Amino acid sequence: MMIKKISQNEFNEVLNSKAAVVDFSATWCGHCKRLAPVLEEVAEDMKGNVSFFNVDVDEAPALAAQLEIQSVPALFVFKEGKSVGMQVGFAPKEQLIQFIKEKLD
Amino acid sequence: MERYDIGIIGTGPAGLSAALTAKIRNKNILLLGRKNLSEKVEKAHTVQNYLGLPNYSGAEMVKVFQQQLNIMNIVITEDKATAIYNMGDYFEIQTAANAMYETTSIILAAGMTVTHFFAGEKQFLGRGVSYCATCDAPLYKGKVVAIIADNAAEESEVDFMAEIAAKVYYFPLYQGNIHVSSSVIVVHEKPVGIIGTPKVSQLQTENTTYDVDGIFILRESVAPDQLVPGLTTEGGYVAVNRQMETVMKGCFACGDITGRPYQYSKAAGEGNVAALSAVSYLDRNRHK
Repeated sequence: MMIKKISQNEFNEVLNSKAAVVDFSATWCGHCKRLAPVLEEVAEDMKGNVSFFNVDVDEAPALAAQLEIQSVPALFVFKEGKSVGMQVGFAPKEQLIQFIKEKLD
Repeated sequence: MERYDIGIIGTGPAGLSAALTAKIRNKNILLLGRKNLSEKVEKAHTVQNYLGLPNYSGAEMVKVFQQQLNIMNIVITEDKATAIYNMGDYFEIQTAANAMYETTSIILAAGMTVTHFFAGEKQFLGRGVSYCATCDAPLYKGKVVAIIADNAAEESEVDFMAEIAAKVYYFPLYQGNIHVSSSVIVVHEKPVGIIGTPKVSQLQTENTTYDVDGIFILRESVAPDQLVPGLTTEGGYVAVNRQMETVMKGCFACGDITGRPYQYSKAAGEGNVAALSAVSYLDRNRHK
């Protein structure tokens, strides 16, 4: 497993990463379930360069509110602790890689 | 789970033609659509330029199409695809009846309904605008939500939302009686635009504005790039080449969904090409 599940209190790990991708998802969301295995492959492809995390929005209400998450899955890209991009919903592997690379450029 | 070779979405002339060719090439197909075939064909008065069926009415055409399916032992799975996920080397099809299918390739032949988007809709997608009530409803616990729907089948989604949100405004865009829970505020006004920075704060109608935290837009026919995330469209149509290949490997499209002219012969011809392309895609994959 390349994607690390973290809690609200462990979010500093994201902020302290040079480059990080956080998948905000929920157990009741179908699109999230489909995205998870695809994102796992993306994480495998990008390992060493980008750290991948998963946050369950139901377990992190304060964080979800702070980031104004209104749809899941919401994929956030963080560069040196700053949010540089967000996209919502399912996307195929090639598109995810392109999106992440673009935002980290 | 059984994995079909080809998932064909739609039972108009394009989808049926694709199904015939795929069946002849001995592929294991899933044909998803209406049992009484295309609604558009069914309602057509007479069609004068479909080769071999002179001056047939739409209803007569549907009848002979069905005969041909019976002869070829092609069965229609009566259901509607609500989302198609590209999982890498296969696709997952989620349906309205809450079934899930796996296919190695996809042929989109779902026809075309021109979607009228509200001002701000695309801009706020994911920032307060959602197309799926059951998906995002829990995020609106205790909040104010507007739901816009173009068909009565969405009324159950409205009731579901009413159980979670603090307040639900419902904007039905269809005629007839509205049957929703008594806590829902039904508004017979035409929505025109969505306002907010950086996320949705108001729904604007022709008469006034409503303060809301989220807006759900539920349409009977979903846009192709919403149905298949990652697909490229041009002017609302699925972009394809002469082989009916889309930008997505293993995903093909045919018929009205690829653009004008909206003709049965063109649809059937494209269905034939799409199926042959899907067959060679499957063969290439097998030899990999």
